[in-house]
Amino acid sequence: MCSVVVRAFGASGALPEAAPDTLRPAQSASVLAAFETVVKPFMARHCYACHGNEKQKRDLNLESFTTAASLVEHGERWEMVVERLRGREMPPDDEPQPDERERQAVATWIARELSRIDRTTPPDPGRVTARRLNRAEYNNTVRDLLGVDLRPADDFPQDDSGYGFDNIGDVLSLSPALMEKYMSAADRVARTALFGPARTPPTLIRLRSEGRRVREVREFPGEYDVTGLSLPNAFHAIHRIPLDGEYIVRVFLGGLRPAGSEPISLALWVDEREVQTLVYDAEQTAAFEIDRQDFSGKTAEFRVKLAAGDRWVSVAIPRIYEGLPARYGGPNPSPRIVPPPEFRPPPNASPDRVAFLRTRFEETRAELAKIPMSGVRVNAVEIGGPYGHEPGPSRASLQRVYTCGHVGAAVPHAPACAARIMRSFVRRAFRRPVTTAEVAKYVRLVEEAQREERSLAEGLAVGIQAVLVSPDFLFRIERDRPGRSTAVPISQHELATRLSYFLWSSMPDAGLRRAASAGTLRNPAVLAAQVRRMLRDRKSRALAENFGGQWLQFRALESTTRDRERFPDFEDYLRFSMRRETMLFLEHLVREDRTILDSIDGRYSYLNERLARHYGIPGVSGPAFRRVDLTGSPRAGVLTHASVLTVSSYATRTSPVLRGKWILENLLNAPPPEPPPDVPNLDEKAIGTEVSLRAQLEEHRRNAICASCHRKMDPLGFGLENFDAVGAWRTMDGNFPIDASGSLPDGETFAGPEELRQILREQRDAFARGVTAKLLTYALGRGLERYDAKTVRTIAVRLPAQDYRFTALVLEIVRSLPFQHRRPAATASARASTTRGVRPSGAAPPSRAARAVQSSQPFRAAGGHR
Amino acid sequence: MIITRRHLPRRTFLKGMGAAIALPMLDAMTPAFALPRAKQAPLRLAFTYVPNGITMADWTPKTAGPGFELPRILTPLVPFRRDTVIISGLAQRNGNALGDGPGDHARAAASYLTGVHPRKTAGADIQSGISVDQIAAQHLAAETRFASLELGCDDSRTVGNCDSGYSCAYTNSLAWRGPATPMPPETNPRLVFERLFGDIDTSLTPEARARRQRYRRSILDLVGDRTRQLSADLGASDRQKLDEYLSSIRDIEQRIEKAEQDLTGLTPPIDKPTGIPVLYADYVTLMFDLQLVAFQTDCTRVVTMMMGREGSMRTYPEIGVPDPHHPLTHHRGNQEWIERVTKVNSLHMELFAGFLTKLKATPDGDGSLLDHSMIVYGSGLSDGNRHTHEDLPVLIAGHGGGLTAGTHVVCAKDTPMTNLYLTLLDRMGLREDRLGDSTGRFEPVAGL
Repeated sequence: MCSVVVRAFGASGALPEAAPDTLRPAQSASVLAAFETVVKPFMARHCYACHGNEKQKRDLNLESFTTAASLVEHGERWEMVVERLRGREMPPDDEPQPDERERQAVATWIARELSRIDRTTPPDPGRVTARRLNRAEYNNTVRDLLGVDLRPADDFPQDDSGYGFDNIGDVLSLSPALMEKYMSAADRVARTALFGPARTPPTLIRLRSEGRRVREVREFPGEYDVTGLSLPNAFHAIHRIPLDGEYIVRVFLGGLRPAGSEPISLALWVDEREVQTLVYDAEQTAAFEIDRQDFSGKTAEFRVKLAAGDRWVSVAIPRIYEGLPARYGGPNPSPRIVPPPEFRPPPNASPDRVAFLRTRFEETRAELAKIPMSGVRVNAVEIGGPYGHEPGPSRASLQRVYTCGHVGAAVPHAPACAARIMRSFVRRAFRRPVTTAEVAKYVRLVEEAQREERSLAEGLAVGIQAVLVSPDFLFRIERDRPGRSTAVPISQHELATRLSYFLWSSMPDAGLRRAASAGTLRNPAVLAAQVRRMLRDRKSRALAENFGGQWLQFRALESTTRDRERFPDFEDYLRFSMRRETMLFLEHLVREDRTILDSIDGRYSYLNERLARHYGIPGVSGPAFRRVDLTGSPRAGVLTHASVLTVSSYATRTSPVLRGKWILENLLNAPPPEPPPDVPNLDEKAIGTEVSLRAQLEEHRRNAICASCHRKMDPLGFGLENFDAVGAWRTMDGNFPIDASGSLPDGETFAGPEELRQILREQRDAFARGVTAKLLTYALGRGLERYDAKTVRTIAVRLPAQDYRFTALVLEIVRSLPFQHRRPAATASARASTTRGVRPSGAAPPSRAARAVQSSQPFRAAGGHR
Repeated sequence: MIITRRHLPRRTFLKGMGAAIALPMLDAMTPAFALPRAKQAPLRLAFTYVPNGITMADWTPKTAGPGFELPRILTPLVPFRRDTVIISGLAQRNGNALGDGPGDHARAAASYLTGVHPRKTAGADIQSGISVDQIAAQHLAAETRFASLELGCDDSRTVGNCDSGYSCAYTNSLAWRGPATPMPPETNPRLVFERLFGDIDTSLTPEARARRQRYRRSILDLVGDRTRQLSADLGASDRQKLDEYLSSIRDIEQRIEKAEQDLTGLTPPIDKPTGIPVLYADYVTLMFDLQLVAFQTDCTRVVTMMMGREGSMRTYPEIGVPDPHHPLTHHRGNQEWIERVTKVNSLHMELFAGFLTKLKATPDGDGSLLDHSMIVYGSGLSDGNRHTHEDLPVLIAGHGGGLTAGTHVVCAKDTPMTNLYLTLLDRMGLREDRLGDSTGRFEPVAGL
């Protein structure tokens, strides 16, 4: 149904690195003739009316392709033509149709010529633009380089993304605002490594927890979540704890509870673990009313030690239906005696007044009887701190800095230590061998500051800061090597760097560095062993998070909103749990080397009680995630993860179109084109009440222009209609029963998610190509070009024999031509003519003499100094 | 001694002197405008953007000229009638599809200050044009510690393409330093504060602070040299990345030179925010406060502020609008939905009026800060339902540069918004010939 479309984005203006003309494959006279006599007349009859010199729908002018040479120059456009013809999508249904055999014959001729061109074109590994470390990479790199887990890059501006990922060299830009942050982050990181975290005055931060709505419960519901974590009364937030230390967690309560109820408990959970509980008795505090417990404005406080990092902080009210007055019928009722309310009119009141007061008393009593069982809730949480955190640098940091071996030892630093320390540090930071002259500049900085500040550590702080803002650290720059071929192998250290940022989003570790220095990294056994080791390492979590989060788009959950009226369940706890499920699924896929086909139909997932309840799967209790067998449930694979179902829906309803598009884009790598302008919208108000969504969409597809794409997208999405816009199972949509059947353009029909999965499973070759293309894009840090199609195809073809194992896919990618090679730069003359660097006005580089002065003088003297 | 008080960059100076370095500080090196509140109050230029269009029926005054009746959304401006101009009839025609299909929200934001039709791409080759605020910023760069400040109130952690095949860079940013360099807004008030005042480490002695600054400069020299050396033998696209790096380094160098004299005496006028306030109104107010202190302390004279990113999905339950903003604006005439959109528009205006109140209450030179500011408020769309890029909602607050205030000005249909920008730049003392699709200076046809 769907073949890989490798999107070609080669249109970015002057690309001086384009393949030289001489490498262009020759076309024979017969090819040139066939184009003239067969292809052009066919297109003139059927295509030029919309895609010609008169009109250029979708910016496509086939009439401008006057000779067969256009097949070489505009291969990607021709590939699209082949697809549209083969899929009988063009010409559209409402236009005269060509003879079917003729249509297929033309398509086949073009396809053959395209593949012949591919075969005869010399392999092109492409050129990856210098990649600036993105935020995740920066955080991980300083963590591994200096043992500093401050995550400073969380404060950096958002990275730009392209081709679906935020590690694309071409797209990642560097603004002055970011440079400033690099400067101050480098200072902070260096000082933290050398002297420990800066003194942080305790600050109070109010956390938000969105989307909760406490439903009023008047009768004991029977079985419920006794931890209270999955009830909307609880509070959940993810909060960055800046430093290890003690913190105050202040809880703001709200809501009513019947008078005579026993004290409630409050439980503080951090990262799925209960760390503290406290008892709060509303009747012990002053209250305006005595006939009910009013919690609004009441606060309780935990004091707790927390470790630095992102923490999932929850405050829940366990056993919320216990300890209530007996008349509510809850378990363990309260033994507290509530004096029955008494009507006591003031003695001197007139009879009218007494009657009035009695009516009001009765009304109030009736009102009180209505106080729900479930009223008390945690409204907000504030976290204050840190208090009493341990000052001083960490052992891990000191070890990474003082490679001279004198830290903590009886022997004091020798004069040569600065140079030794910097040499080792610069080499690790730049991820390559360094020259003495190169290091000397940094050593001079260190020594200068050391003299001024009378401390080696102070000197090192300046030197390390300089290294951390240098372009060799902030960018992953690959150097051109002389070579005649169109594909020159990158260096061992560059390969090690590509590997570590691909699999770990971080710098190479000692093992990789050793292999690169020894020159053995291209040895197949060594490479395979390194990859396996890296995937098993905990750091491969970065791959699940950064690749997975963008491939399956569950990163978008952070900014997803939902109509609260229609989806009261969509609160933060559910949102966090959704994200965690998909993360865990992918982490295990990576670490346990499972088959990638599990993402289509693996009958297992990772659930906690909240999510299991959302899915209607019994027998999962407690907040901890665990592997759950999904046999017997309608769920399997990532398509039925609530995360995916949610990000592919609208705030108010599901969208078979979005979901179909999601499948085509992310699983089959066959993104449909953008809709043409001025498409009519659906009548949102009518959906579910007057007419089913399905009927509306079918109406939509009656329009031939819409149909050409929608008949591919919509049916896939219909297969998932049993899952609502937050991924819960349903059989009705408003007034209409769900019809989860669909028929695909090739005539195949199916009903329900199970059969949809079967179809996708049959499409596993397309899926394999799709995942390969995505992972290759991520691994290379550039958009795929037409010349990469061959690599993608070759890799995908080898996967079935290896049971589609994840490690096999990664190994194929790291062995591939574009991962291991680089196209040399174009000739110098070509480069000179296309120089278009943006130099700010009046900022010409300083003269050679001025540079010499500056470099021999590490610190330019400020006025008045010396 | 040198008599003129024109600021002489130290670097140029050193270059001219060859190797002579240990010279005493010359008077000319003290920037003439660096001291807070110089005698002549400077003029500030700011843009406040609201996303997803505005209910125009409740925005546009019925009559032109002075004395018009304030429409519903504009009622918070009652105290500022003499400080504001409403302008009707301006257009950003390059926000239209012009053959590029859907993506009006991306184009609305990307064209708003540039007047340029952005290239439709979600990838490498984003392209718009230099924005009006950045033209002003580049001219004023030598005067203040920051050439400009970009603020936003919507967390922009978004993945991939943001609007029908347009990169998120288009919907997230208004300011463009160059055609391919958007300036993403800072959305965390704490980080804005740290950027403005973070250089002040009060735990250090002034001497130690001065030494640190000196190290910073040496570091910048070192990495600057390294970059130039490196870029000599790199391919064009790599070199372009390093050029970005180099120009950023230079930006910081210039700032450090300015900062070292005037930072010692500066005390931040507000406390450091701890994070993003929970309520939208508090959040926006805090961001406006930061803009206020940035003007007040003359940290910068150019600010762009997005009260929401274009296409914003923010919900406003606190004013009875639980629905995400963007889908709501596609109301297709549904009165209830329109009403909610109007509520959101009104909230935005109230918050803006709060900002104006503070500007008016802050003395500056011979008047108030408001007197020395030109603040353009508006959206890149008028009707959010139909994605109209014509007859945009535009209002200018402040008396800066001698704007005639207190009237409703109507200009010829489809006058480019950029014509107005050129006029504003004139008032800033910057004579530009063209900006984006400009056709000349702003010429109202009625209302003046």
